[in-house]
Amino acid sequence: MKKDDDQPAIMPHAYDGIQEYDQSLPNWWLGMLFASIAFAFGYWAYWFHSGVGSDDRVALDAELAALEARQLAAVKDLDEATLWRMSRNPATVAEGQAVYASLCFSCHGPTMAGIKGVGFRLNDDLWVHGNTGMAVFRNINEGVVFDGKPTGMASQKALGTGRLAAVTAYLLSFQKEGQMKAIERAKEPSQLPP
Amino acid sequence: MTSNRSPIRESVTTIGRDGERRFLQPAIVVGAWWRARRLVAWLLIAFFALLPWIEVGGFPAVFLDVEHRRFHLLGATLGLGDVWLLFFVITGWGFLIYATTALLGRIWCGWSCPQTVYLEHVFRVVDRLFEGDHVSRAKLDAEPWSRPAKFLRRGGRALAYLVLCWAVAHIFLAYFISIPGLYPMVTAAPQAHPAAFVAMAVATGGLFFNFWWFREQLCLIICPYGRLQSALIDDDSVIVGYDEKRGEPRGKAAPGIPAGDCVDCRRCVQVCPTGIDIRQGLQLECVACTACVDACDDVMSRLKRPTGLVRYASLRELAGGRTRFLRPRTILYSALLTVGLIVATVSLLRVQPAGFKLSRPPQAELYVVSADSVANVFRAKIQNKGEVPRRFFVEAEASPTKVSVLNQSAGLVIAPQAEVTLPLTLLVDRRDYRGEFSFTLRLRSDDGKVSVPQKAHFIGPAPAPPAR
Repeated sequence: MKKDDDQPAIMPHAYDGIQEYDQSLPNWWLGMLFASIAFAFGYWAYWFHSGVGSDDRVALDAELAALEARQLAAVKDLDEATLWRMSRNPATVAEGQAVYASLCFSCHGPTMAGIKGVGFRLNDDLWVHGNTGMAVFRNINEGVVFDGKPTGMASQKALGTGRLAAVTAYLLSFQKEGQMKAIERAKEPSQLPP
Repeated sequence: MTSNRSPIRESVTTIGRDGERRFLQPAIVVGAWWRARRLVAWLLIAFFALLPWIEVGGFPAVFLDVEHRRFHLLGATLGLGDVWLLFFVITGWGFLIYATTALLGRIWCGWSCPQTVYLEHVFRVVDRLFEGDHVSRAKLDAEPWSRPAKFLRRGGRALAYLVLCWAVAHIFLAYFISIPGLYPMVTAAPQAHPAAFVAMAVATGGLFFNFWWFREQLCLIICPYGRLQSALIDDDSVIVGYDEKRGEPRGKAAPGIPAGDCVDCRRCVQVCPTGIDIRQGLQLECVACTACVDACDDVMSRLKRPTGLVRYASLRELAGGRTRFLRPRTILYSALLTVGLIVATVSLLRVQPAGFKLSRPPQAELYVVSADSVANVFRAKIQNKGEVPRRFFVEAEASPTKVSVLNQSAGLVIAPQAEVTLPLTLLVDRRDYRGEFSFTLRLRSDDGKVSVPQKAHFIGPAPAPPAR
């Protein structure tokens, strides 16, 4: 039944008495090998020599630089007048209130009355670390360092400029421009003994 | 072209001398095993096709929502944070395969592998419908394309294949975007959902190529499972085997020439979908589809001889011994499988519909001491993994030192699938304070479905020496 030509040829060599059949790889497999070689050349040319496909790292750096530039520009554009204008805009104040309710309340209290030993009172007109809108913004953005030591008020930079400005505007909405008074830390009402 | 070679153990029947593809046109033989396999195949196809339509707890029974990184499994919703459970899926699958293979050989390949199920029970049915039985199919293979009959028959078959592959691709896609998600995409223009359309087109094309051209090559060359057989089975695994002792010497008996039961009719070779001769023993190519069992049983009954010349049997049984089912490997695999199943079930039941992680805010004081209290500020990451908004509370569990969590009476409402970072201010009365201590914070929800504990450490100054 078996025809002799069905038997695969045997390679002429033998090692330790072990012989090897001379069989072909399936053509579709060989095709994949050639296709991947061709693909590698195309890949190499496209990503490294055409100038069209750029390096992932370059793209990431460019993206990050653009993001930082946007943030810096936003902070730089922010000034006292803009913050006060925002503090009279109901939509911005509402956004700021949401930020306050999710973040600031835990130390400064739900009614902004402060928590003894933890957070300053914010609903009065007495301000310890700067009595301007920009000072308040900076304190939230960068955190407060007192006497060379970090305080409980950490940087909230992760909020992003938009929400930082909004929550500043929310705080300013309870203040009148030019009537924020500076006091010493030791005299802050929420920190005084009863 | 159609293969006309006799199978030999040394070469693959479907790969030619020069590496060219040689197609098989196996005959279809209807027998007891074939009927049972077709029933199983239909049940499996129905299961696959209906599962995305069945709703459990408001979501499809299986919905792998890759886009939103949520995985709905029989009413449970898992997030990316629960991906570690995949460990049990992968190891469980492994041990299940090991255990069944050690016991019953390649029963998975023959009965339940999608490749076999769709190829044998859907696409070969289409082949028969358009191009007739194996004889006329082989004849059609040899005909030139200029003959309109070939063009029409084969074109019709290709069209039917495309429609079927298209349907299977859609069902497959439904597992990832759900039927309610799929329907508007199907009714909208392709450019409205380019990614889903491309995924569907690629899946359709891939399936078409696989079932039209690739077929058994997948089992023979790509599938790693078949290649693992020599490690997974032993002499006691039940395989599809030829009873050499009874069958040989094959052929016609003549005076003076004894003969076994095999009449060398080659029916078993004709029906083999991977192009082997089962009488040459256990081979890598055999997917244990039992077509040769049905074929041989049919011939044996016609010859009024006992069936089972080719049958499910272990190598030991075929050599005249008795199959041992209780063996170290079957016991070990089954034990590991059982342990895995138990641990997986317990883990799955303990998955909470919320995540709760604690950290300290960076660049802040570790503690603040005032006249009457010591305060610590934590940052809690709370994730609502559920499908409804929930109100969450964080409370300190009773500990020797009383800890109060400030501003938690109202709780915090978190939207479904949202994560919120919440600062927590914890106060300890100075009269209670006796130095640093560990305690437990617990996240609860107002519906009582969430209760996640998290250990925390309260930091403060060294305690004052006791007053004299």
